[in-house]
Amino acid sequence: MSFFGFGQSAEIDIYLDGQESRKTAEVKMEDNKKERLLLYYDGETVSGKVNISLKKAGSKLEHQGIKIEFIGQIELFYDRGNHHEFTSLVKELARPGEMIANTSYPFEFSCVEKPYEVYTGVNVKLRYFLKVTVVRRLQDIYKELDIAVHTLSSYPDINNSIKMEVGIEDCLHIEFEYNKSKYHLKDVIIGKIYFLLVRIKIKHMEIAIIKRETTGSGQNIYHENDTIAKYEIMDGAPVRGESIPIRVFLAGYELTPTMRDINKKFSVKYFLNLVLMDTEDRRYFKQQEITLWRKGEKTRKANLQSPLVATHLVNSDADRAPKPEEVPVLEDGAVNEISEGIQNMTREQGDGETQKAPQTHE
Amino acid sequence: MSSYQVGLGWNKHYSKIFNGGMPTTPQQLSPVEEQEKLLDEALATVKNEAFKMKRCLDKNKLMDALKSASVMLGELRTSLLSPKSYYELYMSITDELRHMELFLIDEFQKGRKVSDLYELVQYAGNIVPRLYLLITVGLVYIKSNQMFRRDLLKDLVEMCRGVQHPLRGLFLRNYLLQCTRNVLPDVPDSDSDNPEGTVKDSIDFVLMNFAEMNKLWVRMQHQGHSRERQHREREREELRILVGTNLVRLSQLESVTLEKYQKSVLPGILEQVVSCRDAIAQEYLMECIIQVFPDEFHIQTLNPFLKSCAELESGVNVKNIVISLMERLATYSQRTDGMSMANDSGSPMGVPMDVQLFEVFSEQVASIIATRQYLPSEDMVALQVALVNLALKCYPDRVDYIDKVMLGSVEVFQRLGLERIEYNELVAKELSKLLKIPVDHYSNILTVLQLKHYAALMQHLDYYGRKSLSMYILTNALDSETVIPSQEEVEQALSLVSTLVTDQSDQPAGEVDMEELAEEQSLLARLIHQFKSESADQQYLILNSARKILGSGGQQRIKHTLPPLVFQAYQLAFKYRDLKAEDDIWEKKCQKIFQFCHSTITALVKAELAELPLRLFLQGALAIDQIAFDNHETVAYEFLSQAFSLYEDEISDSKAQLAAITLIVGTLEKISCFSEENAEPLITQCALAASKLLKKPDQCRGVATCSHLLWSGKTLASNKQEMHDGKRVVECLKKGVRIANQCMDISVQVQLFVELLNHYVYFYENGNDQVTVQMLNQLIGKIREESPNLESSEETEQITKHFNNTLDHLRARIENPETDGVSYEGIEI
Repeated sequence: MSFFGFGQSAEIDIYLDGQESRKTAEVKMEDNKKERLLLYYDGETVSGKVNISLKKAGSKLEHQGIKIEFIGQIELFYDRGNHHEFTSLVKELARPGEMIANTSYPFEFSCVEKPYEVYTGVNVKLRYFLKVTVVRRLQDIYKELDIAVHTLSSYPDINNSIKMEVGIEDCLHIEFEYNKSKYHLKDVIIGKIYFLLVRIKIKHMEIAIIKRETTGSGQNIYHENDTIAKYEIMDGAPVRGESIPIRVFLAGYELTPTMRDINKKFSVKYFLNLVLMDTEDRRYFKQQEITLWRKGEKTRKANLQSPLVATHLVNSDADRAPKPEEVPVLEDGAVNEISEGIQNMTREQGDGETQKAPQTHE
Repeated sequence: MSSYQVGLGWNKHYSKIFNGGMPTTPQQLSPVEEQEKLLDEALATVKNEAFKMKRCLDKNKLMDALKSASVMLGELRTSLLSPKSYYELYMSITDELRHMELFLIDEFQKGRKVSDLYELVQYAGNIVPRLYLLITVGLVYIKSNQMFRRDLLKDLVEMCRGVQHPLRGLFLRNYLLQCTRNVLPDVPDSDSDNPEGTVKDSIDFVLMNFAEMNKLWVRMQHQGHSRERQHREREREELRILVGTNLVRLSQLESVTLEKYQKSVLPGILEQVVSCRDAIAQEYLMECIIQVFPDEFHIQTLNPFLKSCAELESGVNVKNIVISLMERLATYSQRTDGMSMANDSGSPMGVPMDVQLFEVFSEQVASIIATRQYLPSEDMVALQVALVNLALKCYPDRVDYIDKVMLGSVEVFQRLGLERIEYNELVAKELSKLLKIPVDHYSNILTVLQLKHYAALMQHLDYYGRKSLSMYILTNALDSETVIPSQEEVEQALSLVSTLVTDQSDQPAGEVDMEELAEEQSLLARLIHQFKSESADQQYLILNSARKILGSGGQQRIKHTLPPLVFQAYQLAFKYRDLKAEDDIWEKKCQKIFQFCHSTITALVKAELAELPLRLFLQGALAIDQIAFDNHETVAYEFLSQAFSLYEDEISDSKAQLAAITLIVGTLEKISCFSEENAEPLITQCALAASKLLKKPDQCRGVATCSHLLWSGKTLASNKQEMHDGKRVVECLKKGVRIANQCMDISVQVQLFVELLNHYVYFYENGNDQVTVQMLNQLIGKIREESPNLESSEETEQITKHFNNTLDHLRARIENPETDGVSYEGIEI
């Protein structure tokens, strides 16, 4: 910070209360590296001390005031200059004056609203940080400290299963079912595929988890699709009447909660893509959005005590497609808003791997 | 808590661990000859990764070891290997997986918590390696904590549905079956919920695995080009043992009681077998059921099993399945019978009383035959054959069972509309086999006769079939020397072999092979000698019946069949004579018998036979003479006169005439019952007939023979002693010499002289004083005189030899005279 080797300079250090014991979370930074950051939740107080130590002892530091800011901002990478701050709180630590010795200033942002979760995507980044600035005439001395924020959701009131009959006429009819439409990040997707009609030679079937990041609006809308996971659930060609179990553990993948229209700047949505590949490498697929949410710690602890395997084992009665009388009745409203009879699947030539996708399997 | 976090950390990396460096199945197809190369490459990878895996395990790096295992297992994703090569690869890989399993078990026992390993391995992106790992880990869980056993087994067998590729699926599920073989719950069901599981859970588990494997196996049939069908079927044959192992596993569960087997195991298997609608699978699996489950179970589940047999595909050889079961149960029943006899302390172990083995089979076989329209008729008969064998083995005393099968078979043929089955058809062979079984088994034609429907069934064979079977029956009856003791049975027996007895409506027209006919008729003739009743009256009835039946056989047959009957009748007459003390009217009966004989022989005469009836008459006369019943002289005279008239009217060949006259003379000589009044005409008739023979040598010999009649013949006049009419003897001989002199051929002449010399010597030695040494000398001189004129030939040699032998005899008599013998003084040798 010192030009030409003269003039006083200072080191800023932000200490957060309880940082030794506070939980941390791994957050991906811009350069794809990951850092462990202290983890805060919405409404939690962020407090601590700012230590300013002078580099040259005995020499004074002149300043126009010292402040600390708590900032939540969204950065759009195609619009580097503009940061959209959705939260910005300032505390003055010292009035303009001179600093003679190392000084420590306590601060507290009590019950800070942190409406969004930290996120680093392809085109967008949402971060929270503390910024201490020592205002000086020529050049400010400042220090930033990122923190992680997780948004917790409570268990959704309505969590219907996803059940759908899809297909391509006279070619392939299947019925698939995912046990929920909303999954928490450590959840298990359980479901099954029931083959009603098979007139193609299927080679295998997989489930892909696709993350779609949407930024911008109007004409400048950008979609980024990212295949988070590809998971083979069937090998070989089934015949009519087969039912294939699905069980995908989500905990192993890098997922975030679903984010919808965050500060009108971006969204992150997740889809399950059921893909069937035939022997001529044609792909048949159907995408279905699922909502991901983050579950509070406490419930997770409860989960821990349950037997380690039993909860997500396939039910013995999961081997049959529903009998006609079991088909959900729509009058209920709560049962199934998605079920609309046979919908078209998409058929593509080639392997359809057009987007760049992190290789989860070859 | 901390362990969970560690686990969580692993999870995050885990998706990467498995998804890196996953081998992919090459897309281009390789020719078949590259199999070996492909296999070698795959095995090399396996060896390499297995080595890495074991090294990591040694260093306790479980994650890395799992990664290597996953790469290794990735080799099983190939579609390029034949079942055989794939099997080799599978064996090698599962062998290596054992190291992983042992390591994990060891870790668990040491108390190390790898709690979410079951979840962890499920991050593998590819399903085949994932499921192999899941099974391996699942097994370790089960072994270390029985509390999850039931749920884990259910989960594993369910998750395996993800592999729908037949070959890969079959081997995966085979791995599941292999791994779980020692951990299947094998305790009886209980009311309380038991997380360790009971035998019911094991049954459900194996049955589901079985059903899925069978579906995969059947599916192989429908993949690929139809021209590769044979190849595919061969491959399926190679893999069938994998499916069958499920059944073996079920059979190894000790808690599978009879009740369980009846209620869940067998219905489960049969449901799958029937519904898969695949002939290869059905045939193999039904056979499998028979082989792997104990006979005690089979006996109690015959109905459902056999019902299912009726529902199998048309291509299935149901016959073999049913027969195989029958044979097994028959053997079982015999074996246990033997055992229960060995230790009579225990309860009888054979067929339980409440199981009507035969009835059930009989009923089900009938229904199989009724429902399976495409069953070849020979298979239907083969089923009947098996039924008979079963009945004979299990119920040796129940002739009615055999008869029931016969009836059933008749019904089958009636339904099929098969009246006559051609000899060379397969079904005819089966039918013959069926019909021969009782013959062979009982070796008693009387038992066969008890089978009411046997004859009716036999009627479905064509002429050749019946004939050959009839001969078989006869041969058997002859070999076993079965005596047929009643009129009824004789009638039945003859109607059974009626093909041989009378002409048949379906008999092929044309020349009859006489040799063949003679052969078959002689069998029949031999059988007649086995018609024997203890009671003489019965015997008479038998002969009467037989006569009636056999009499309809036509000329060619009666000449073989009636003579034994006549001889039987003669024997019967002798029997009555022996019984004369007990039977007042035996004489009447004898008379009747000879009437019977007379008419029987006359029948032969009417069949334009001569020599045979002649001999029978003569034989009859001899018998009559010996039996000496009331009025026997008249009867004997009648018989002899019949013989004479046959001789006169029917025999024209000179050689036959000579033979006949010789026989008549011989017979007459033995008979002693004639009074002078009857004897004289007969003797005269003989002499007359002899002298009327056409050829001189025949005349000579005939006359010479007649001479004996006058010497050793007996009549009432001579008081049944030899009459010794020396004078007429010499007259006869002289007549002979005279005739011999008339022969032009010197060789014949000399021969006749030698023969006459022998006659002279005989009478001389027997004390006929009318024969003198001078006569002998004269004859000898004559022979000597003519002998040198003979051309040397074989005949001449014989004559000379005969002559020398005669002279030698005389010399011997001279040198060693008999004490009161005649003197040969003056003889010139």
